[in-house]
Amino acid sequence: MTNPTTGQQPANASAKERIAMRSMSLAQRVGKWLGFDISRSVYRYAKDKRFGHISESRVADKWTKTTCGYCSVGCGMLIGTRDGRPVAARGNPEHPVNLGKLCPKGLSEHLIVEAPGRATTPMLRKGGRGTPLEPVSWDEALDAMIARIGALQVRHGNEALGVIGTGQLLTEEFYTLGKLVQLGFRTRNYDGNTTLCMASAVSGYKLSFGSDGPPGAYADLETADVVLLVGSNLADNHPILCNRLRKKPGQVLIVADPRVTKTAMMADLHLPVKPRSDIALLNGIAHILLRDQLVHRDYLRDHVDGLDDFVRFVTEFTPEAVSEVTGLSVETIETVASIYGRAKAAFIGWTMGVNHSTQGAVTVAAINNLALLTGNIGRVGASPFSITGQCNAMGTRESGFASSMPGYRKFDNANDREELASLWDIEESELPSARGLAYPDIIEAAVTGKVKALWIIATNPIVSFPNYNLLKQAFDTAEFVVVQDGFYPTPTMEFADLVLPAAIWGEKEGTYTNSERRISKVNSFATPPGEARSDFDIFMALAEGLGVKDKLFPGWTTTHSAWLEWQKVSAGRLCDYSPFTWQQIEDQGGAQWGGARLYEDGVFPREGGRALLHCVPCLPFVEQPNREFDLILNTGRTVEHWHTRTKTGAVAMLEGMVPNAWLEMNPVDAQRLSLRQHDPVTIRSRRASITQVELRVTEIVAPGQVFMPFHFAEQNSNLVTLGAFDPISREPNFKQCAVRVERSTLN
Amino acid sequence: METDSAELVRMTLIESGAAPSLVDLLIPSRPLEPGEQYRFHFDMTKCIGCRSCEVACNEQNGNPADIKWRRVGELEGGTYPLVSRTYLSMGCNHCVSADCVRGCPVDAYTKDPITGIVLHSADACIGCQYCVWNCPYSVPQFNPERGVVGKCDMCRDRLLDGREPACVNACPENAIQIEIVNLAEWVNDFALAESPGMPPAEQTISTTRITLPKTAVSELARVDTSQIPLEHAHGSLVLMTSAMQAAFGLLCFLLFDHNLTPASLAFLLLVTIVAINISVFHLGRPAYAWRALKMWRRSWLSREVLCFTLFLCTLSACAAAAWSPLFHLNLTRAVLPLAAATALFGLMGTGASACIYLVKARPAWDLVHTPIDFLLSALLLGAPLNASLAMPSQWLYGKWRLPGMADTAPHFHIHPWWMALIAAAWLLNQVLRTLRLRNSEVFELRATYDHLRGVLLSRQVGLAWSCAVAATLLLAIPLPILSFVAAGAAVLVNRYLFFVSVVPRSMALTFLGATGKHAKRAA
Repeated sequence: MTNPTTGQQPANASAKERIAMRSMSLAQRVGKWLGFDISRSVYRYAKDKRFGHISESRVADKWTKTTCGYCSVGCGMLIGTRDGRPVAARGNPEHPVNLGKLCPKGLSEHLIVEAPGRATTPMLRKGGRGTPLEPVSWDEALDAMIARIGALQVRHGNEALGVIGTGQLLTEEFYTLGKLVQLGFRTRNYDGNTTLCMASAVSGYKLSFGSDGPPGAYADLETADVVLLVGSNLADNHPILCNRLRKKPGQVLIVADPRVTKTAMMADLHLPVKPRSDIALLNGIAHILLRDQLVHRDYLRDHVDGLDDFVRFVTEFTPEAVSEVTGLSVETIETVASIYGRAKAAFIGWTMGVNHSTQGAVTVAAINNLALLTGNIGRVGASPFSITGQCNAMGTRESGFASSMPGYRKFDNANDREELASLWDIEESELPSARGLAYPDIIEAAVTGKVKALWIIATNPIVSFPNYNLLKQAFDTAEFVVVQDGFYPTPTMEFADLVLPAAIWGEKEGTYTNSERRISKVNSFATPPGEARSDFDIFMALAEGLGVKDKLFPGWTTTHSAWLEWQKVSAGRLCDYSPFTWQQIEDQGGAQWGGARLYEDGVFPREGGRALLHCVPCLPFVEQPNREFDLILNTGRTVEHWHTRTKTGAVAMLEGMVPNAWLEMNPVDAQRLSLRQHDPVTIRSRRASITQVELRVTEIVAPGQVFMPFHFAEQNSNLVTLGAFDPISREPNFKQCAVRVERSTLN
Repeated sequence: METDSAELVRMTLIESGAAPSLVDLLIPSRPLEPGEQYRFHFDMTKCIGCRSCEVACNEQNGNPADIKWRRVGELEGGTYPLVSRTYLSMGCNHCVSADCVRGCPVDAYTKDPITGIVLHSADACIGCQYCVWNCPYSVPQFNPERGVVGKCDMCRDRLLDGREPACVNACPENAIQIEIVNLAEWVNDFALAESPGMPPAEQTISTTRITLPKTAVSELARVDTSQIPLEHAHGSLVLMTSAMQAAFGLLCFLLFDHNLTPASLAFLLLVTIVAINISVFHLGRPAYAWRALKMWRRSWLSREVLCFTLFLCTLSACAAAAWSPLFHLNLTRAVLPLAAATALFGLMGTGASACIYLVKARPAWDLVHTPIDFLLSALLLGAPLNASLAMPSQWLYGKWRLPGMADTAPHFHIHPWWMALIAAAWLLNQVLRTLRLRNSEVFELRATYDHLRGVLLSRQVGLAWSCAVAATLLLAIPLPILSFVAAGAAVLVNRYLFFVSVVPRSMALTFLGATGKHAKRAA
């Protein structure tokens, strides 16, 4: 009983859709019309051996342990299959991350595998742009890809290929892809959508500690005396971390966010800071800590550089000055500093409110400053902690070959290059000595014609990249665009010359690494639909086609081959994967590389082993509101959806909960603009406008600010967002741009 | 690497090694004693609005994506930045005095004597959806795939196995628990059932205990109030109620004019049969319509069905008596008493029919204007229908005089002044109702008024009212058939408005809500 055209399953359908997908004989139709219960069997209950009384449709004959493929919390799951088809998703009660709990996306994740809209066959725009994509064989698809990219590389140099990856693949696949791109396709212009997400955290960690790597663990959320969350809306974005908060008696939760988020409502103290005034707040806290002798003198003496400059620098961040910038009262700032400074263990967590900024990397450094000043790092409950975005953003940071070489090796470090070359048995000269272009720079290079071919893997930039118009120009200018994804069509595929259908979560085996550096096992419980292949298999086939398979991937057959090599490559590095086997990881519910906490000995991977305090000026955000564009647009997420909705949009229940985007606006502004609840509004920036966005008049945003979620291609926030990027991390400034809002005209 | 899970899969907290204190916290650890029942406890201070409970509930029950036995609502209050923002998660409240149980015409609902859980039997249900109207929380939901309603049963069979219900198990914040409540104490004081975003608990004595935040509770208000979808039109009920009222009204006029001729009674019988057959197709399970008679001692719906069934029976007998000379029997003396009995059943049926709509959970129906409307609509339709029958009846009488049949010619009156009086009363009832809705402080009544004067419905209101005036004028001309068409339009459109404009009591829902069709409409 499935829909023959869309493949939709009854478990993932509305009542009317279920009726439509049922094929009925005439007698059954008459019976249904008269009201005989022909659906009784669908609604029968049964007893699952393990899970007890439940709908018979969810009773499984086999349970497979795996790890959730959405966010970076990295929840352990059990997927139930019956006759080889997924029927149920459960949190794994034994997994230390989530102890059996899942968010609504995880609880319905088994539905995405057989959801409608999966990519099943390679598609090539045979007649060129303007003609439709046509199904082709894998051989034809891969030959076309290698030939077209090869031709462009011959004419314009190897770096005419730009590759945009993701945080959604397996670590083993990232490791393979990095090698394939850098040493097979021989282009350095490779980056991931992780640059839209946590690049600022990576850069900030490198600035302060000399290396990437979140130093703490989730358990610290339970043991800290104070948890300060900066620009982090856990309740919507990492809901399964929330139950670790409010557990310890007396713990103080402080949330700094311009919007009254669900997380802000959990807080003991919500700091409604003005947009992008977090640096002033952080420096102001440092000022008070130094003034009131709340710093850890011994720690600073033994492990930290740059104190003298820093002390001089923060003198001007008096509570009064900070109050002016942040909009918080002097008293509040004093209170926060005092709570933070007097805590035995203090935890600072942050997410996109910090990262999504032209000053993201240095804001991270400013956060790290506080941890270093008070010695709140490398101890139980004490950490400056980046709560990452995607399920395997960490895996690509560590094993990929984009912003650094595998194993956090630096491009510009001759020793690192030499070591890696010898591990791989290649000449050191084959390794690049500087990183290639970052994501936004690849896009810009495509616009200017330096990058001629784009290969987009498991990401959907049309919805997720800022300033749509420029991106569209990049796709239009590029001569050959390949999009590799598990779903078809995605909005980005409109611009694709070639589409490669990929397997997704649930169809592949390997590992993910979560925010707390926990490597967890990902298992397969289904086979890819149609001709779709795992990304790993696609990479192998391309390596074969390029004639580099034997050199780069000798004897490799499965992702496990990649894992074994990656273990060797990471051995002895900060992110050391060598101590664990796949089986151990699976049995233990994951294992953290580097142990529970990094830097317990106070030795940092900088020269001299000392961390560094940075003097971070607080600059106003780039595009300030003015008379014409009088509102600040903030963008974000909602718990029901994941990123650009290619997956959650295909889960009928999640899509039904939040079927469209909305714009939050304070009643003061709504009244001024004569707008009412649910009005369809148009949001205009200097770049473009979004029409027909449902207005939500609410006090949870400040006057002068508006908020909208970014998940929706139909009401795409990135039409108006600003193409400004952090000079260090290259992360876009998604969070603030100047807009005006008016009622949409009927069309 | 796949793992067969015989040893590793555990679901309940106990099995996964959670502290017994936590399990005790989530489901009761002792058996129920007499006078006790299970109930939900929802801790609003813990809920983070993640909606895992909604998904877990659907997975547990295998429900379609758009039918949610547990729903989450949003509440907000205050002024930025001192804002409160909380969530409400609700399944069924397993009320002490449940209106769904009382109203059900087929006894599909039972209050479980052991657990106190309000259980619904899909096998017994005929899909009349009367419980949907009766529940002040809009808990029962009609499933068109099965033709029956369904609702939360607190995962009774899981509880009896010592396992948490799916929502309790899924909640990452342990905000939902099952507790034991002493009914006598609770009936005496159920203040802890009250919450912003919930209808007053007194109507049915909800057993759900809600822990509210310590501060700012008075500020919290629901966020789903400004885009309330129209209710289902129930086309078959619009037709059935109107047609039955037309039949009853016509009978009144036939009696009044002493015009119980074989032809007019046959016509009346035809109208009645059509109306009753239409009504059956309102049900999700028409084949089981007969079951609706079952609960006549308790349910107004059963009583309506009973009265109209008796109406049909006596009317059939009456018509048979009128036609009896054709079969060489003379039972015409029975016509008048049978017609009087039929009229009595008609009156009772119309009254019972009106009483169906006097449900507290639908305040705009629960007004005296509803029974008045039903009676006046009967007369408004009856008068022109009666007049319309004059010509055909006389034609038949002249053409087809049969031996022994009525020896006097039918003498239909037109009654334009009566019609004017009826139409004026009908209109006055509508105007008064509308004014009352407009001036009401009750949210649902005011929202019904907003529907009626909104872009979607205001034209229909104008149409219905002007049709009533037109019907009077047309009858005076006299153009009785056109008058009947106008009166029919007035009553049908008005009845349609009655169904679609009602705003039911319900729990607060999310801003976009289950009916967030904005995007589709905008597109």
